[in-house]
Amino acid sequence: MTAVESTKPASAAPASSEVVVSVRGLTKVFKDFWGRPKARAVNDVDFDVKRGEVFGLLGPNGSGKSTTVKMLLGLLNPTKGHIEVFGQSPRHVKTKARIGYLPEESYLYRYLNSRETLDFFGNLFELDKGERNNRAEQLLEMVGLNQTRTRAVGEFSKGMQRRIGLAQALINDPDLVILDEPTSGLDPIGCREIKDLILALARRGKTVILSSHLLSDVEDVCDRVVIYYGGKVQALGTLQELLAKPDTLRITTPVLPRETMERVLATIRKDAGAAEVRVDNPTQNLESYFLEVVEKAKQAAQQTSGAQSGARVAAYLRGDAETKPSTEKVLEKLTLPQATAPISTPVAEAKPSVNEQKLDALTKSEPATTPTKPSQATEEKAADLSKADEKLSSLLGGKK
Amino acid sequence: MADNPVHISSSVFRVLLRLGFFPWFARLVFGQKIAAVMGLTWKAAFRFRLFIVVAVLLLAAVVGLPILLKDDGTARGFTQILLTYTLTTITALLGLSTLWLACGTLARDIEECQMQVVATKPIARWQIWLGKWLGIMSLNAVLLALAGGSVYVLLMYRATKLPATEQHILKNEVLVARGSAKEASMDREIEVETERQLQERLQKSPVSAADVAQVRTMIRERIKSELQSLPPAMGRPWRIDLGYAKNYLAGRPLYLRVKFNSAEKSPSGTFGVLLQAGEPQKSKNLWATREPLSLAPDTFHEIEIPADLFNEEGILTIVAFNPNNTTLLFPLDEGMEVLYRESDFGVNYLRGLGIIFCWMALLATLGLSAASFLSFPVAAFCSLAFLLMGLSTGTLSSAVQDGTVMGYDEESNQAGSSVVDVVAIPFFKLALKVINLAKDFSPVEALSTGRSITWAELARAGVQIILLMGGIMGAFGIWAFTRRELAVAQNQS
Repeated sequence: MTAVESTKPASAAPASSEVVVSVRGLTKVFKDFWGRPKARAVNDVDFDVKRGEVFGLLGPNGSGKSTTVKMLLGLLNPTKGHIEVFGQSPRHVKTKARIGYLPEESYLYRYLNSRETLDFFGNLFELDKGERNNRAEQLLEMVGLNQTRTRAVGEFSKGMQRRIGLAQALINDPDLVILDEPTSGLDPIGCREIKDLILALARRGKTVILSSHLLSDVEDVCDRVVIYYGGKVQALGTLQELLAKPDTLRITTPVLPRETMERVLATIRKDAGAAEVRVDNPTQNLESYFLEVVEKAKQAAQQTSGAQSGARVAAYLRGDAETKPSTEKVLEKLTLPQATAPISTPVAEAKPSVNEQKLDALTKSEPATTPTKPSQATEEKAADLSKADEKLSSLLGGKK
Repeated sequence: MADNPVHISSSVFRVLLRLGFFPWFARLVFGQKIAAVMGLTWKAAFRFRLFIVVAVLLLAAVVGLPILLKDDGTARGFTQILLTYTLTTITALLGLSTLWLACGTLARDIEECQMQVVATKPIARWQIWLGKWLGIMSLNAVLLALAGGSVYVLLMYRATKLPATEQHILKNEVLVARGSAKEASMDREIEVETERQLQERLQKSPVSAADVAQVRTMIRERIKSELQSLPPAMGRPWRIDLGYAKNYLAGRPLYLRVKFNSAEKSPSGTFGVLLQAGEPQKSKNLWATREPLSLAPDTFHEIEIPADLFNEEGILTIVAFNPNNTTLLFPLDEGMEVLYRESDFGVNYLRGLGIIFCWMALLATLGLSAASFLSFPVAAFCSLAFLLMGLSTGTLSSAVQDGTVMGYDEESNQAGSSVVDVVAIPFFKLALKVINLAKDFSPVEALSTGRSITWAELARAGVQIILLMGGIMGAFGIWAFTRRELAVAQNQS
């Protein structure tokens, strides 16, 4: 079987043409006490965000991302330019009812506990008591704070505060979610959960605007990004448009018999030239590895006093999908088309030549088993992973 | 014990609290969003221990002041300590905590950026502002009820410990709500007479234009002095209209409140005064002191007189005779006053607390308005300065009276004038008018002298203090808060 990788996020329902956020000529100049211009934080920015899109605002610190977000929310007034959110001013009360916002820091009331925090914000959306309770329970479960619901938010760690911040942003099941540095202060599990949540929201046709300087966050979930520098837009487009290298291709397969592999390579070399073809083992990234270790630790029932890993995305945020009876799920599985991977856009870097030693190792006839004599590189890698495993285990409570 | 109204009301309060009556009521009246902000203000006041600390301070003032300051055993001394001092202290404490909370609850929310999250929710800025104000006012209502209730209970309890005679005075002269009637104002007549005499004088011997004002003042003072003075062996009548009160005063005793001054000192410290009240033509309706009453000058004296001395029109005629060798001066505004029972003390006390509550509403508005566009320390400083300025209007009054802020030039005997006066004096006049809208009420003094605070007066306080002054101030605060860029503040915590 040949699996072809896709670099596109597994998210997203296709974005519709309905424009949710429209920004034209947006400029923000901060002034001093005497009204003299102090800093031009955002300079003549234009972009549109469509319904169902995960849109990334990317840029280094101080590039104008947060200022843009705050203007989108009506917390800052533009010096020049025009913003429309759902066709209205961002300060329009009915418009705000459709927005969920996670600020870059925990700007919550420190004296309220997590339950009270959600109840307070639920009241601002005029949710009735039953609905508030229901959503608060699901959100606390989702962000892994259901064990700490009576602790004051002021006593929370930064990561826990991010989690409750995220929960409050979703209490109204928003159509537009604006997340400012959503993964800052979160552990890798929390980061992964946030990304999963963003993808889940996008699948439901929600629009997500994500502001971050962490490239991996944006790359993992965004459909389109705008890149800021010095308050100006430097690049704008889909990730494919911005990242794709159309002259390169990557094919991923299970380990093949040596003869097959040589045959394939010979064919490829004939067209591409030997210097342009590279074969190696795909490696998982540290995030995936970390999640794997933690999953193992969880299965071994290790305790933690902090936030627990969140449960599934809250039912009301998933729509009805998760609440359907199991028979329906079976039917769904049988009737819905299986997720077939689209043709990949290769992003792997080309290496000058084939590592024959590696090729030997890869083309052993029994690919499922561990090689009896692993190569030096594999041994080193195993040693590195073992060290990382120990380190992570000690971080998780000193147990392995 | 079970029938004790305090016990019953506290039990009812507890039950209502448990049933969540108050949040429900707030939601019903003000809507869910405003009620949520109100609730938040309550939680902040409790979690930061502000409510507990203020409540303890108030109770300490109520209980501690009467212990620290001993009264002289008279009904008046007793009320002076228990009502005047405690209510004044309660007003001051509650006023300061209101200002502090009002500035803090909004300014801190903005500075610590919580407001950035709240303002992105579907709640209008005016609703946030109003919710905060209502939260503070509901806290004030509870604290004022707590402190006011304690004063009342303590007052009633300790009144039973006074001697019988003092209890009688307390019951009839202090712990009542008494209406008052005075002689009709003579200001107009004085002005007419002043002008007539001035013209006569000017015709006889003209004076320079600069001196006319001074001559007018001298003539006016002389006329007033003639009206006030009671020379030796002379009598001075007052005809006091009781107005509508005549309809319910039949059969009820009245009280004369008398005050006079003397240019000379008496060896005994007192002067004799003979008083007569009623219709001189009808001996049945006439009351008079057989012997001169020995009264100290510069002090208010209350003298009980029999019922039904006024005529069909409700006019009560009072005559004072001066049997001394020196002239006595009965001030026009407070020399002779008739007091009569209007209603019970309890209701009057509630109305008095109502006026204090109106003041608190104004302070809450002041604090929130300042915090709408200033940082917490600046807002607190400005509103405290504003409060102090409001409390000390003496300088403003004298500047307005003198017509200058520069003072008199002793050499030229003229008021100094400068460009500053052109701006300052009209501004001071306006400021005084505005401040007096709130200062024009003295519930503590009225309560401690047993004077009636009418419903009309309470309504006037509500209109002048809350609707007019608070309305203008609040409208400005809401406008400033609505326009404010909330994300400019950075979290420093």
